[in-house]
Amino acid sequence: MRESPTRSWLPLALSVFSLLLIVFSEAGFLSPFESVFHYLFDPLQRFLSTFVVSLGDLSSTVRDVRELQARVEELQRQVDALEAENIQLREIKAEVETLRAQLNFVDEFPILAYFGADVVDRGACTTYPCGEVVGGEPNPYLRYVTINVGARHGVKVGMPVVSGGPRLVGRIAEVSPRTAKVQLITDHASSVAAFLQNARVTGLVVGQPDGSLLMQYIPQDQQIDVGDVVLTSGLGGTLPRGLIIGQVAEVVQMDYASSQAALLRPALDFSRLEQVLVITAYAQAAPESEGQGLSLP
Amino acid sequence: MLSRVSLWGARPELLLLVVLMWSVVRGADAGMVWAFLGGLMMDLFSGGPLGAIALASVVASFLSGRMLRVDLGAPTVGIVLSTLLAVFGYHMVLLLTLAWTGYPVDWLDALFRVTLPSALLNAILAPFVHRPMRWLERRTRRERFTL
Repeated sequence: MRESPTRSWLPLALSVFSLLLIVFSEAGFLSPFESVFHYLFDPLQRFLSTFVVSLGDLSSTVRDVRELQARVEELQRQVDALEAENIQLREIKAEVETLRAQLNFVDEFPILAYFGADVVDRGACTTYPCGEVVGGEPNPYLRYVTINVGARHGVKVGMPVVSGGPRLVGRIAEVSPRTAKVQLITDHASSVAAFLQNARVTGLVVGQPDGSLLMQYIPQDQQIDVGDVVLTSGLGGTLPRGLIIGQVAEVVQMDYASSQAALLRPALDFSRLEQVLVITAYAQAAPESEGQGLSLP
Repeated sequence: MLSRVSLWGARPELLLLVVLMWSVVRGADAGMVWAFLGGLMMDLFSGGPLGAIALASVVASFLSGRMLRVDLGAPTVGIVLSTLLAVFGYHMVLLLTLAWTGYPVDWLDALFRVTLPSALLNAILAPFVHRPMRWLERRTRRERFTL
């Protein structure tokens, strides 16, 4: 180990400079500087990301083959089960249509009230900007990812981001010309209005410091089942209704609290995000008394 | 790539380890300057406030440099203990900055699920980073001749 004479003013100067950066950054004065930086360095980041992903792919190919074999078998079983379920659902749909007609329901009150969110394959990129995750979050207490679409592609702050089907990834938090930062739903500052698919009760899904999800403010008298699917409720108008958030893994009940909570198993593995879809427009959830309309976040 | 790796909440902080070990081999001043520059680069790729990682890295580098003045016995023990303290300081500054800028911080959860595991993991990894840094320091050292 080497000990060199230290300049006593250096740590203080660097700390003060960093603090000033934080203050100016929070005040928004540094946004142009950040935009220029991203404009210059995003291609390099994209190149490095591609390089790292290629290396990772090479090393994990052998392991992936074994995993894929097991996965194919599992998926085949699921397909068989879903086909059977699909036949049942068609029967139920026909029955519902008959009953709806009898009760004079009209088309302007649809049961399903979201569009766009279920379109997630690469072919959808002609309609919606598809992004690739090109960078992780260096701050261990934040959950953000950077994607390679930005203001040039029509991305704006607040737009929802999905992946792997209509599974909610998060919301656009920051946009630069060619990239955007997505605040994941697992971020501690993220909160999403949600409802339980079977129990039909609403709550608020918030990210936890360890990256898990907790659904809060569920009325104490409601029965919650483990495995119940949690979907976005669309309340507040910032997200489409019906995006998948996760499944109930554990019910947290406290006798002294006025509400109960549920620990969720996220629908996505956020550490393996690669392809995402930014939803630029969607049909808003229709309240009972209103029709549906196109909403721009 | 390492930002995606997590072991029971702990994350290997490669850039931080490099600047801390650079502080050890080249001195606290050099370490702090690189800590600031490296931290600033990471800030630009972060969703958090600009300057937070730079400030945390400078503090960590300063703490690491300070610990060198304390006799900790064997060099490896010194490196592990100084890294433990420095990484802990780094995380504390990050959390304080986040709390200051209005981000919700769950202190106990963050401390036990992220800060302490990360400090331990990085302290264990430090000697492995120290060796290449020592080699690099020797290769880049300017020889001074006096008459």
